[in-house]
Amino acid sequence: MTLMMLHNLLPLLIVAFGIVLSLLLIAWHRSQKIILIFTLLIFACALLASISLPININESVQVTALLKVDGYGNFAVILVLLASMAVSLLSSKWLTNSLEVHDEYFVLIQLVVLGAGILVMSDHFAALFLGFELLSIALVGLVGYGKNCQFSVESSFKYLILSASASSFMLLGIAFIYSQTGSLSFAPANIDSDYGLFYQAGMLLFLVGIAFKLSLAPFHFWTPDVYQGSPVPITLLLASVSKVAMFIVLMKYWFSQSYIFSEHNGGEKMLLIISLLAITSMLVGNALALKQQNIKRLLAYSSIAHIGYLLIVLLIVSPQSIELAWQGALFYLSAYVLATISIFTALVLTQAKNDSAMMQIKDWQGLFWQHRSLALLIIVAVLSLAGIPLTMGFIGKFYLLNIAVQAQQWWLIGALIIGSGIGLFYYLNIIFIVFHTGQETNSNSKEHILPLPALKFMQKLTVITLIFLGVFWGVLPDTLSELFAVK
Amino acid sequence: MSITFVMCSLLIAGGLAWFAEGVKANSARYVALLLVLIISVYFVFALIMTNSSADYNQLHLLVRVAWINRFNIEYALAIDYLSIVLVSLTLFLSLICILVSWHEIKEKVGFYYFNLLASIAGIIGVFTAVDMFLFFFFWEVMLLPMTALIAIWGHENKHFAAIKFFIFTQVSSLLMLVAIIAMAAVHFKQTGQLSFFYQDWLALDLPLSLAQYLMLGFFIAFAVKLPSVPVHSWLPDAHTQAPTAGSVLLAGVLLKTGAYGLIRFVLQLFPEASLNFAPFAATLGVVSILYGAKMAFAQQDLKRLVAYSSISHMGFVMLALFSFNAIAYQGAILTLVAHGLSSAALFSLAGMIYSRIHSRNLMNMGGFWQNAPRMGGFALVFAAAAFGLPGLANFVAEFLSLVGAYQVYPLLTIFAALGLIGSAIYGMVLFQNSFQGRFQASLPAPEKSLFKDLSTRELLVCSALVSLLVVIGFYPNLVLTFFQTADIALVNHNLAGAVQ
Repeated sequence: MTLMMLHNLLPLLIVAFGIVLSLLLIAWHRSQKIILIFTLLIFACALLASISLPININESVQVTALLKVDGYGNFAVILVLLASMAVSLLSSKWLTNSLEVHDEYFVLIQLVVLGAGILVMSDHFAALFLGFELLSIALVGLVGYGKNCQFSVESSFKYLILSASASSFMLLGIAFIYSQTGSLSFAPANIDSDYGLFYQAGMLLFLVGIAFKLSLAPFHFWTPDVYQGSPVPITLLLASVSKVAMFIVLMKYWFSQSYIFSEHNGGEKMLLIISLLAITSMLVGNALALKQQNIKRLLAYSSIAHIGYLLIVLLIVSPQSIELAWQGALFYLSAYVLATISIFTALVLTQAKNDSAMMQIKDWQGLFWQHRSLALLIIVAVLSLAGIPLTMGFIGKFYLLNIAVQAQQWWLIGALIIGSGIGLFYYLNIIFIVFHTGQETNSNSKEHILPLPALKFMQKLTVITLIFLGVFWGVLPDTLSELFAVK
Repeated sequence: MSITFVMCSLLIAGGLAWFAEGVKANSARYVALLLVLIISVYFVFALIMTNSSADYNQLHLLVRVAWINRFNIEYALAIDYLSIVLVSLTLFLSLICILVSWHEIKEKVGFYYFNLLASIAGIIGVFTAVDMFLFFFFWEVMLLPMTALIAIWGHENKHFAAIKFFIFTQVSSLLMLVAIIAMAAVHFKQTGQLSFFYQDWLALDLPLSLAQYLMLGFFIAFAVKLPSVPVHSWLPDAHTQAPTAGSVLLAGVLLKTGAYGLIRFVLQLFPEASLNFAPFAATLGVVSILYGAKMAFAQQDLKRLVAYSSISHMGFVMLALFSFNAIAYQGAILTLVAHGLSSAALFSLAGMIYSRIHSRNLMNMGGFWQNAPRMGGFALVFAAAAFGLPGLANFVAEFLSLVGAYQVYPLLTIFAALGLIGSAIYGMVLFQNSFQGRFQASLPAPEKSLFKDLSTRELLVCSALVSLLVVIGFYPNLVLTFFQTADIALVNHNLAGAVQ
């Protein structure tokens, strides 16, 4: 282990060390404010460390056999850290509602970030499993954290059992793969040899495990319930950090299997399975989101569809497209994370009741005429999710369509168009509700119309920054894509 | 001559109007009217000043700067006579739009004018963009404020209409986006570089098998916008539910973006494929003409009637364009202008009636002539324009379209000509039901006496539209002079492409 390796691993080391320090801090003095500031400080240091890493996007540094730091993974770490900072800030508002001191909560968030960081840098099944379990177990604790909330026990149990079974499927798959290749490294030792059916079965089981975490249809059944039952910031954590980390590790694994471009080992069958997963996720996610009235359930279903769109990047047919696929995936993920953070920020700031599980879309009725900046935030985020120009989401979709056209995946393009068409229906519905002008509904839903308190200066600043970023990168995407473009 | 300046100032004007309304109630409309007037004057003057040096028969590039380097996308605008005519029509109708919404909009007035002007800025972008990504960008950007106009200030069923409008156009335009990306990929294969620049694409050598599919992607998007049967069903709903200015803008200019796309992109980029597809497209055009006329006749709702008549008229454009004939092409261009004016006039009229009796139902109308003879006179002229009375612009336009199309599709053109009879019938139904006969008993009593004749503002709107209809009707060369050479080049280009 050289000094350079340590340097490359610095973001992870900072987070890991921060967790220990946080535990000491809790032992010394319990204060929610201090731990919040400390958590933000750790994330900020890790962020600085990963931004300052002197690696080019297309070169990589192997840190032991377990981890490989490269530019794409590093960008994903930045994304994860930014999302977790948003989660911590939003949590501070949510946690003030109860009497206890919630130091452990922030330690759990740090653990999730550590797990996500290990995942996006892993190059080995052992590291993958380590990150996967760290992420899942910490998340189980967080999902059930709001113990007074209506669905917290249900959702945390659901998440615990399903993610445990998913990881056991994955372990079995890894074992199958190991039994054939004799190596736990992502890249198989011998590319040209034919590993046979057992290897393919292992791949399939491994994919099932990942698909559970990515909530791809038909492995999506836990998603809406867990999204609804978790505290709002944790739903954001599930939707952003967990999804980004799982998807990046899937891409790393997938692209290191050069066999997907060869005839051996049923590469075509795997491509077919991935496209089927993508198509069902796009259609099922969008179709089920149509009738949702609960904001968090709606976002859960729409996230299924979005990961379905994103799977398109795995379906490239030539090694030359790998670079475009990475760029597309990272841009799409950034757009998705930014839009999700925006919506959840709006959700927290407009939340009148303590129990977030009941947040309905109609609670946002006529928001545009009361809180213009908050409403604009929602509109930009929703348009971005729907993929309408002027927003980042459109550029992300443009990347995906480019990749799909180059790979000539016409069925997937068809599904994407149909899915987006269905998606427009519920996305537009949110926007129309935000713009609603009628007076007729005021009487029966009085509690929703409670005038929200005016935003504090910092909140207003955050909201405006989020709006600005969503539009700025949508109009001038080069400023973002340069960060992960090959120089 | 800077189109960018025109678009930016329209956006800023919208913002100023929004801001002004917050400062002082009822000031937004004055701000909007004044600024749009200034912008229009600027446009006309800038055009005249540079006209001597530039030849607008060909696309005249105005600006071309790099935008998104990753995909070699540029911000590129260009104009030729087609763009100039359509942009002028847009600016003229935007003034009409502001005038017809003068008293109609009472809620959120500032935001209304912002949306109106933003939508107009987007439409002007569509007519001038020559980078295909930029074109798509504007194509979508004009939709958003338009949808907001329908969804916020529309009538009773506004959300449904707005969602339907948006989903129809969005899904079809995603097909176009796929075709655009595929074209860029073809360019990449042939030259080693991605390009979305329109004039680069003209130089591409497309195999017919691929061109057919790509052409279809563009064609569907534009056919939805035009609209043509069988993808027209968003139009009656959107028109009926939109506020008056929204309908005027939709019928007057937004439908023209579809025709513009057909002329500029489908016919020019895929000449051979379009020629193969032409019989089918021309048949769709004729079906639209007849179906639109038949449906218009059956409507009770005044705005729905006019909406179906738009489908019928845009069928002539489709038929004429896919005849690949110079005369028909001139007819198509003239139809765009004439229909822009006459449908805007009819929708304004519908808005004026609605503001008086708060109903769009023809059953509630009748006998308006007694109280409002001037309005009746204008209504008669507008209805006559819609069914193509000689002396008004639509007559020349449809006549030229039919004469041109007859040389290529005699049988189809005979059927299309039957549509003219249909339009006379629904035109008379419209006029007789509203202005002749007796006052309807179902109308609340006080509104009978309140049915006033045109106010000065309405008189201004109507007389501006009528004078343009008459001037173009008597002297169509006002528009057609610009297309004497360009169109022949187009047709030759197409035929040359087909012969190869």
